[in-house]
Parts: sequence; structure tokens; C-alpha cells
Amino acid sequence: MDYRVLLMESDRLMLERLSQVINDTPNFSLAARFQNVSDALGQGAVFNPNLILLDIEQPDGMGLIDQFKRAYPTAAILCMGEKWQAENASQSVKAGAKGYIIKPFTGMELQETVETFSRLGGDAGAETLVFFSPKGKSGKTTLIANLAMSLARKTREPVGIIDADLQFGDMAVFFNLAPQTTIVEAVRDARFLSPASLRSYFMPVAPNVSVLCGTPTPNMMDKIAIDKLENLIAMSRSLFRYVLIDVPAGFNPTSIAAAEGSSTTFMVTMINGAYEIDHTKRALDIFRDWADVEERLKVIFTRVEPCDSRSKMELAQKLGYPVAEIIPNEYTIVSDAADKGKMATDIRPDSPLSRQVDRLADQIIGRRHRIRWAAV
Amino acid sequence: MGVFTQEINGVVITFFSTASAVGKTLISTNMASELARQGKKVCLVDFDLQFGDVSNYLQLLPQRTAYDLQQAMNLQGNAVRAEEFLTPYEYHNVVFYVLAAPAKLEEAYNIDADKAMDMVRQLQKVFDYVLVDTTSTFSKLNLALLDLSTIVSFLGIVDFIPTIKNMKIGSETLKKMNYDKNKIRLILNRSNAKTRISIEDVENLLGEPFYHILPNDFQAASRSIKDGVPLVLRSGGSELGEALRDLVARYTNRVYDDTVDEHVPESWLARIFG
Ligand SMILES: Nc1ncnc2c1ncn2[C@@H]1O[C@H](COP(=O)(O)OP(=O)(O)OP(=O)(O)O)[C@@H](O)[C@H]1O
Ligand SMILES: Nc1ncnc2c1ncn2[C@@H]1O[C@H](COP(=O)(O)OP(=O)(O)OP(=O)(O)O)[C@@H](O)[C@H]1O
Ligand SMILES: [Mg+2]
Ligand SMILES: [Mg+2]
Repeated sequence: MDYRVLLMESDRLMLERLSQVINDTPNFSLAARFQNVSDALGQGAVFNPNLILLDIEQPDGMGLIDQFKRAYPTAAILCMGEKWQAENASQSVKAGAKGYIIKPFTGMELQETVETFSRLGGDAGAETLVFFSPKGKSGKTTLIANLAMSLARKTREPVGIIDADLQFGDMAVFFNLAPQTTIVEAVRDARFLSPASLRSYFMPVAPNVSVLCGTPTPNMMDKIAIDKLENLIAMSRSLFRYVLIDVPAGFNPTSIAAAEGSSTTFMVTMINGAYEIDHTKRALDIFRDWADVEERLKVIFTRVEPCDSRSKMELAQKLGYPVAEIIPNEYTIVSDAADKGKMATDIRPDSPLSRQVDRLADQIIGRRHRIRWAAV
Repeated sequence: MGVFTQEINGVVITFFSTASAVGKTLISTNMASELARQGKKVCLVDFDLQFGDVSNYLQLLPQRTAYDLQQAMNLQGNAVRAEEFLTPYEYHNVVFYVLAAPAKLEEAYNIDADKAMDMVRQLQKVFDYVLVDTTSTFSKLNLALLDLSTIVSFLGIVDFIPTIKNMKIGSETLKKMNYDKNKIRLILNRSNAKTRISIEDVENLLGEPFYHILPNDFQAASRSIKDGVPLVLRSGGSELGEALRDLVARYTNRVYDDTVDEHVPESWLARIFG
């Protein structure tokens, strides 16, 4: 697709600089440029732009989005700011912009940003799915890895995994990766990055699935301040349709912040025949403070035997809370797969494990469709 | 009475791991039982503060917990008698004491690492052995515990490769701390579980042999948890129970001797709670 750009930038020097970049970028051409909003709104249409780059760091910048949308109903709007602010970015998307780019940008960044939002289609901004577990060894890393594949396969939309299990994240081993960049570098560099450049910190592992790997050693955890992690998650939202986040077991600053900011938090517990249901109950009580807890907190049990609707019902009864999905006991398949750096559901697409993971993916996708439909 | 005696600080053994569900709680409750059975004064501290299983595995209903102790310490400082905040575990004539994890998650979240360490120091003055069950992270509390401990039992299992990676990272991190070599004891649990990874390979990777190896027996382990009776206290011995007793024998440098039961002194109980 060719982009005819209308550039609205109040700073003279910046306007020059960005015009140059736009004209030097393949498939992009500068249709018109303005330093003054009233001119841009009143005169730009004669140049028939299909992409508007709008400086929103000016008085009532957010309000401008709506005005430009009305003046240019068929053009896509990309907001520009001097630095990444999660708040601004998400507000501008809510107001109808397709994305947010940091200026000055390179031609590559411009291309990537536009590619990202065209791939994400209509409504930008991912769902963030956080996987919480009261105690460790819940089966959640296994679940996240396989679920990400299933979501990508079914939707053909981009799915990102963030390994925020800060001391002992296993995602790199699960996907057999030796990452050059991890969450440590991503957080370190985040304030210089725009969402599009953050993408390169994620390692592609399958069509439409990429992973931001965890810290290589536990002491690195100190390098990841919670506000920076939150910022990183917010930024990742504009890159993917679904962002799946692995967090350390129990209540800690990381898991709490991630859950608070999530679209959905999955509480994952492995059935072991000991006190795991009591632990889940206790953890659940903390989440009951959420006004929309039944919507936002979903319970999953793993290693359930037999993995049938009756077990599911019994678990829900014991817990006193609905159980969203159960995952069967498939120790041999999952441990074998992890040892080989492969996905269990890829090796055995016909297994009950794959079936249950797919069902969970359907639930997640279905919920989104309902929301979209309701919003129409 | 009135005779000056030098204060004695008991042995602190911390049960630590860098992966969850490796048997820290099962092994620490058994070790507490076995030491108590040998007549030692034993306190088991549950510093898996949020989701501790010690009271679960021993089926205790604690009236007071580490949180109450912390509250008391905040008010009274070192005048607090930590032993008044313990819950006894009794089975036949074996007794040891538990400092239980807080009842509420909010309480657990608000336990201060320094205060927690003070608790251990207090208990050391009263008990021959203070055993501490932990969580699987290098938290501030766990790092302080590792420092203070006489012995660290670093536990691992070999279920799949990510766990081994974490065991390796854990053991390397411990090495960096420069503890005396014989302070850290590498223990492999569930050795003959279903897995394709050989023990030798793991030892090579870790660069040292396991100090002790415990067999896999999920049925025996589960049953003891259901009954609330540690394996070493059961007469109809299981292989796992035996291996746990052997482990304690190595820790106490004594050859295992089945007659120790008789020597359980009762007087120290009276001293603490009388
Ligand atoms: N559905 C399952 N059935 C049986 N075993 C499973 C299942 N899912 C995971 N496991 C096994 O349980 C163990 C833990 O799995 P996993 O690493 O996914 O859990 P986790 O909650 O991420 O653990 P950690 O606390 O170490 O991060 C592994 O040995 C894995 O092979
Ligand atoms: N030698 C063994 N053979 C078979 N099963 C075992 C063995 N040791 C422990 N288990 C089982 O493994 C599970 C985990 O044990 P335990 O709770 O003691 O681990 P933990 O390290 O304290 O876990 P967490 O980190 O979750 O507190 C329990 O279900 C227990 O029954
Ligand atoms: Mg994990
Ligand atoms: Mg435990």
C-alpha cells in the first residue's frame, strides 16, 4: 500500500526533518504539511491524504484526533510525541488514532509502526493476559507457551509473550532460545523506544508468536523497576493482539502490578492431591476486591485427572468459584517437549492437552468477539 | 539456678531451592520429626509466608503465628518470648514446635525480613535446632536466612530441563556467596521419578555430587501429607522414610540407632512452657 501523508507538526525544524524522512521512505510520500492546525483541517483534503501524522503534544492534542477524524474520515491517524507515554498512547488510541510514534523517527520505524497497526486491523491495543499462580510449579509456563501458539494459529494475529518471572523465567528454555535481548534490555532502553522499535527485543518463535525472554540470572531482577515493567507492558499492547505474561508465583510487586493492569488474569494451579485448592481459595479472596472479578479473573487447573466436565464441576464446587478450563495430566508429553525446546501441542496436535488448550483459546477469542460485537 | 551459663545458639538449617515443589516442606517436617524423636529440642519455622504448608502437612491449627510474633516484637522488642508464639506438634511421645506462617495473606505480605530474622535468632537461643522452610526465590528474607544458617539444604528434583537450569543458576549463585563448602548441602529428591535425565549428567552440570539422594515415592509422600504424620514417625517404614532418617543421621553425625526413643527428655518442655 502507498501512503500519502499529511504531516501536522508545529515545530518548524521538526517539520523539515520529518518531511525528509517521509519522502525518503519507500511507499511513503508527503502529500501536504502544516504547522498550523486550522490550516491542516481546512486545506489538507485537497491533497487526499490517507495517513495523517499528528503532533498531539500541543494544547488539547487529544481533542484534535476527533476533529481530524471528522475532516478525514478515510485516513488513518498516527499520533506523534517526543517521548513514549503509555497514558498518551492509550488515550490517543481510544480517541480513534491507529497508533503512536516517537519523533523524530526513522523511515524504518515509520514503516514498522504502520505495518503493526495495519496488521492489528481495526481496534488497536492488545488484551493482556496475566498468568498468576499461588505457588510455583503450577504448569503455567507450559500453558502460556502452548496457548500463545494456539491463539496465533486460530486468529492469525500477532501474539506476544513476556517472561516476567523475574528470577527463574523458563520461557527461553521452553522455546530453545539464546536471546540477545531480554526483558532487562527492553526495560533499560524502554524510554528511548517506541513500540515499533520494541518489537525487535521480542524473539520470533513461530508465525505470529514472539517472546520477550526473562532475566538470565536472578540478580538481574533488581534492574527491573515495577513502573518500568508496567510501561513495557503498556507499550507491548500496541504491538500484539494478545500479550501473555508469565509472572513469579505468589503475591509480589511484579505479579500484583501485572494482574492489576491485565485485561484478564488467569489463576493457574496444578492438581497435586495436597492443599492446592486451599491455596487457590486464599489467593482468590484477594482478587475478590475487584469489582469485576468474575469477568476478569479466570481459574484454571492443570494436571486434572480425569479431565472431564465432571471434574471441572467438582473443582468449581470445592473452590466456590467458576473454573474456566482444566488441562489434563500429560506429564510425559509436556516435559518431553520442553526438554526439546518444542511445543507439546505441536508435537501432539491430536492430544487431549491440545484440545483443552484450543478450547481455552476459543474462550479468549470468543470473549473478544462478544465485546467487539457489543461495541458496534 | 543462679549459675552463670554461656548462652548457646542452636543449629539453623534452612531448606531452600530455586524451583518449587521439590520437597522442602516434606523434608523439613520429616527432619524436624526425626530430630525430635532423637530427643533434640526442635523448632520448625514456616517462612513460606504466603502459602506455607507446614501447618497443613502436620494438620495443626495454630492460634498464633509469625505475624503475631512480629506484632509483639514491635511492641516489646527483644523482651518478647518467641517460644510463646509456637504451636506444638505431638505424635506419641515425639514433640516439636512450629512457628506457623501468618493466617492471612495481607499479614504474610507485611512480614518484615529483618523482623523475621530476629525471630530466628530468638528461637536459636531456646532450641537445639531451628529448621526453616522457605520459598523458592532469592528474596531479601531468604538471602538473610542463607547467611545466618549453619547449614543450607539446597534441594532439587530432576523433572525437566528448565528445573535443572534453575538448579544450576541457584547453585552458582550460592557459590558466588562464598559460603564454606560444607555449609551448602545439595540434596536430590524424587531421584527415580519418570525422567530421561541422568543423575550423573546433573552432577556434572552442577560441578559437584549430591550430598544425599532421596527416592521417589509419591504414594508414601501423599499419604503422610493426608494423615498429617511425617514418614519418619511411622513404624511400617517406607524406603523414603528410611532415606529421610539416613539424611538426619548424616546431619547429626550419628549412625542410625532405633533405640533413641527412650531418651526423650521431657524437662525442656516444662522449661519453655512452664
Ligand atoms: N498438564 C500437565 N500435566 C502434567 N504435568 C505438567 C503439566 N503441565 C506442566 N507439567 C509439568 O509440571 C512442571 C511445571 O511446569 P511449568 O514449568 O509449566 O510450571 P510453572 O508453574 O511455570 O513452574 P515454575 O514455578 O517453575 O515457573 C513441569 O515438570 C511440567 O512438565
Ligand atoms: N521423595 C518424594 N517422592 C514423591 N513425592 C514427593 C517426594 N517428596 C515430595 N513429594 C511430593 O511433592 C510435592 C511437593 O512437596 P513439598 O510440598 O514438600 O515441596 P516444596 O518444595 O515445599 O514445595 P513449595 O515450593 O510449593 O512449597 C508434594 O505433593 C509431595 O508429596
Ligand atoms: Mg514457569
Ligand atoms: Mg513448601
